[in-house]
Amino acid sequence: MDMTDIFAKIRNNQRITPDEGLYLYRNAELLDLADLANEIRFKKNPDPCVTFLIDSNPNYTNVCSIDCIFCAFFRHPGDAGAYTHTVDEMIENFKASAAKGVTTILLQGGVNPELPFEYYLEMVERTRKEVPEIYPHFFSTSEILGMAAVSRLSVPDVLKKLWDAGLRSIPGGGAEILAEGVRRKISSKKGGPEEWLSVMREAQKLGYKTTATMMYGHLETDEDIVTHLESVRALQDEYNGFTAFIPWSFKPGNTPLEKIIPHYATPMRYLQMLAFSRIYLDNIQHIQASWFSEGKKTGQVALHFGADDFGGTLLEENVHAAANFVNKTNNEECIQLIHESGFDAAQRDTLYGIKKIIPRTIAA
Amino acid sequence: MKKDIVFRDQVLAPIWDKIQRGTRLSLEDGVAMFRSNDLISIGKMAHAVQQEKSGDAVYYVLNQKIEPTNICVLECKFCDFAVKPGSPEGYEMTIKQILDKLTPNIHEVHITGGLHPEWDWKYYLDMVRDIKSHFPQTDVKAFTAVEIDFFHKKFKLSVEEILLQLKDAGLRTMPGGGAEVFSARIRKELFHQKIGEEVWLDIHKKAHLLGIPTNATLLYGHIETYEERVVHMMKLRELQDETNGFLTFIPLAFQPGDTGIKAKNNFTSAIEDLKTIAISRLMLDNFPHIKAYWVMLTEEVASIALHFGADDMDGTVGGEKIAHDAGAVSPMAMAKEQIIKIITDAGKIPVERDVFYNALHVSGEGIIGKIPYLNSVPFYTDFEKKQFTLLPIAPRRMGELARKDILDAGLFSLMDYFAQESDLDVLPYCIATRDQVKSVMLFSKEGWRDLDGKRIGITDDTATSIRLLQVLLEKKYGVRAHLERMQTGINDCSRFDAVLFIGDEALKRNKFGLDGFELVFDLAREWYDWQKLPFVFAVWAVRSACSDALKSALLDSISRSLARNENRLDSIGTIHGARIQLTPAETTEYLQGFNYRLGDRERAAMKLFKILVAEVIVAS
Repeated sequence: MDMTDIFAKIRNNQRITPDEGLYLYRNAELLDLADLANEIRFKKNPDPCVTFLIDSNPNYTNVCSIDCIFCAFFRHPGDAGAYTHTVDEMIENFKASAAKGVTTILLQGGVNPELPFEYYLEMVERTRKEVPEIYPHFFSTSEILGMAAVSRLSVPDVLKKLWDAGLRSIPGGGAEILAEGVRRKISSKKGGPEEWLSVMREAQKLGYKTTATMMYGHLETDEDIVTHLESVRALQDEYNGFTAFIPWSFKPGNTPLEKIIPHYATPMRYLQMLAFSRIYLDNIQHIQASWFSEGKKTGQVALHFGADDFGGTLLEENVHAAANFVNKTNNEECIQLIHESGFDAAQRDTLYGIKKIIPRTIAA
Repeated sequence: MKKDIVFRDQVLAPIWDKIQRGTRLSLEDGVAMFRSNDLISIGKMAHAVQQEKSGDAVYYVLNQKIEPTNICVLECKFCDFAVKPGSPEGYEMTIKQILDKLTPNIHEVHITGGLHPEWDWKYYLDMVRDIKSHFPQTDVKAFTAVEIDFFHKKFKLSVEEILLQLKDAGLRTMPGGGAEVFSARIRKELFHQKIGEEVWLDIHKKAHLLGIPTNATLLYGHIETYEERVVHMMKLRELQDETNGFLTFIPLAFQPGDTGIKAKNNFTSAIEDLKTIAISRLMLDNFPHIKAYWVMLTEEVASIALHFGADDMDGTVGGEKIAHDAGAVSPMAMAKEQIIKIITDAGKIPVERDVFYNALHVSGEGIIGKIPYLNSVPFYTDFEKKQFTLLPIAPRRMGELARKDILDAGLFSLMDYFAQESDLDVLPYCIATRDQVKSVMLFSKEGWRDLDGKRIGITDDTATSIRLLQVLLEKKYGVRAHLERMQTGINDCSRFDAVLFIGDEALKRNKFGLDGFELVFDLAREWYDWQKLPFVFAVWAVRSACSDALKSALLDSISRSLARNENRLDSIGTIHGARIQLTPAETTEYLQGFNYRLGDRERAAMKLFKILVAEVIVAS
């Protein structure tokens, strides 16, 4: 295999194979990867503009029966610190966020077997009705599978009912690494890769837009990374339902996995992953850089490694916080970070529609 | 540097052309790079230049920082550390307190502090001397030019005298702090009491001439302009041309804290940090190292900077104290482990260094010594990156590092190979001459036979060329001369009757001549005319203990490189050649003068030389 051939192939808009991807991932110089990723970024999104979202990530419950060893957030039913909010409480939370300019709520929770399906439907319906300025981006695949279990409905039926309640967009969390072995090791009760992929497939078939994520930096191999990206790319060919891909590194703080993986992956690895994702996922338009999960400075650099989106301002976030990994920002700082990186900033909505552009003033 | 870069910002293309031609970058070039938004291309240029200089090596040192007092007579606006004399927050450390704070496994202690109004001169000398005597393996890097100037004024001794006394007490190098930004405007606004550029540069120059290497810094990210940053770099570059005494350049990101300076932004952006690192690598073409000082850059940016031209991570500074306060059992090892992880994660080799950047320990497998001379270029182009890491290293250090088990293989200077022959397997590749070589040259005021009893200056580059010189003097011409080491980097040739240069330095001097030395002898030619045999300067060898898999992979890499490059000697070295001011034609001719394969005649020449050297050694 030859690097020059692979680069040429990519530049000619030809798709690379998993083997070529693996070779590229393992052998390409970091900045060569960045360059190529950047080129593709500008082909797909030509404006020198980086989008961001004013959003919040509250959680309705931390009660969870899945026992993922990379998670510091969950509690078992009855544990000290376990909580479940009522729909009323969540609606109040959303209203407060909306008052601060939040346009998207990414709502997720543990898989709490005590909650009836009606709880979720009510959450969607009332959000649409009572907080119309908020676009709901609710429930990961694990929760949707949980709903199917408590309601004894099929996944497509659950998705159909949520759609009828007003849900149109689903977050891509819970993918972790879409490779059989490693996924079984870190979250045995979550099922194999097909669980995540099939829920996403059913959702996209119904017309949902979703994101796709990847959490790396734990027990996965290079091959697993390529398998993950290949699975996402293949599904995207079917329905074109993924708006964006969002990789982030595993944060070991307070998790059972911390004993084996004490440090989170370095910024270098993140930048490599981001650039590689941009190159491999030739059919996904947006790649999100995460100032939040990797640090503000790394987030800035990531905008030169193929990312065209800076994620959300995250008024509230509890999952990373539980792993002692805390980054905070506000709208002005978020815009400043984008400007300093050499781009205009653009506030977007959940589905990547531009709401307003805040141009960069060029320093003398 | 054969790298093709596709520039997003076309302003950079002519700058890259200049770098490849070996043309120095101008003020305009520097400012244009700062204004450009093509971060990745700037990084690529800097990374390519850094790869040429230090390959995959990233240096770190086990060090500790000592700040003996925070009481200072100056009031610089950007400083949060110092307090005025008499302040209740002031502290003063005794020598005993300093010694108690140090741990024996460190190799560098970095001392800087406030300008204390009452301490006497003896206290400073004792501090250095006592550290050195209690911790013999720890080198002292101490006192910025600001402190040296303060000592000079307070103790009424010349700067030279201050430096000499400190050197005698055990001072090895000086840190680069206090340079801030060489600009009268900024000095007036932010640190009018502090020494300005002239005094700073003068003190560093004097230190260099006394054999004390130093570092240089730039404090950026406050009120300075891009132009002022570049001018600062150019002034350092100019002094480095003169003395070659700077080891590393350290861009320091301004930390706003409570300093009361209204900076444009709170903290520097990552983009600004990386650009400054990269642009300094490109502007400071004569500095050996660029440091990503993680204490100020943050760990995340320092780690990324390893792909933007930096090759030095500083050290465990402060790590010891922080970890110790947190109750860690082995704080030093923790911090070291983290630095190593950052470096290896970047795909580089962590090289633990001493204060002079000599390698003490290298972590990794498949480490191949790479000779940074033009004549070795054809060997290294096709090494399998995942299998081997190339560690650029002066030929004279190759033997030493192999002895310490740091290197698995390399192109060994012949004398180094002889010294470790029993532990090494020789590979059928070498650097041998056909007849002349032009890169081991004796510049002389006298003919060979008139050199009897005369003084010949030698560099500390390699034992082989020095032995060859001795063999020629004593065996071919029957004379004996005094060989003396010249101070590196300092042009003191004139006091010798002849001087020996090797490698790129010899090539350059051969082209332009050396004032006062009329006669120029090519030692390989001398040998060939005498013995009718090629001369073997270096041979490829691998440690016998290495696995067969490694050995065969190594043979593969070398033979692949050579096979490709022997047919294109006209293009392979032109960029390297340009940097030592050779035309493409001269470079080609030079490279064609070598034989890279170890055949029977080369083996015979090695054997003969070994015997002759033994005779010369016995005779002396």
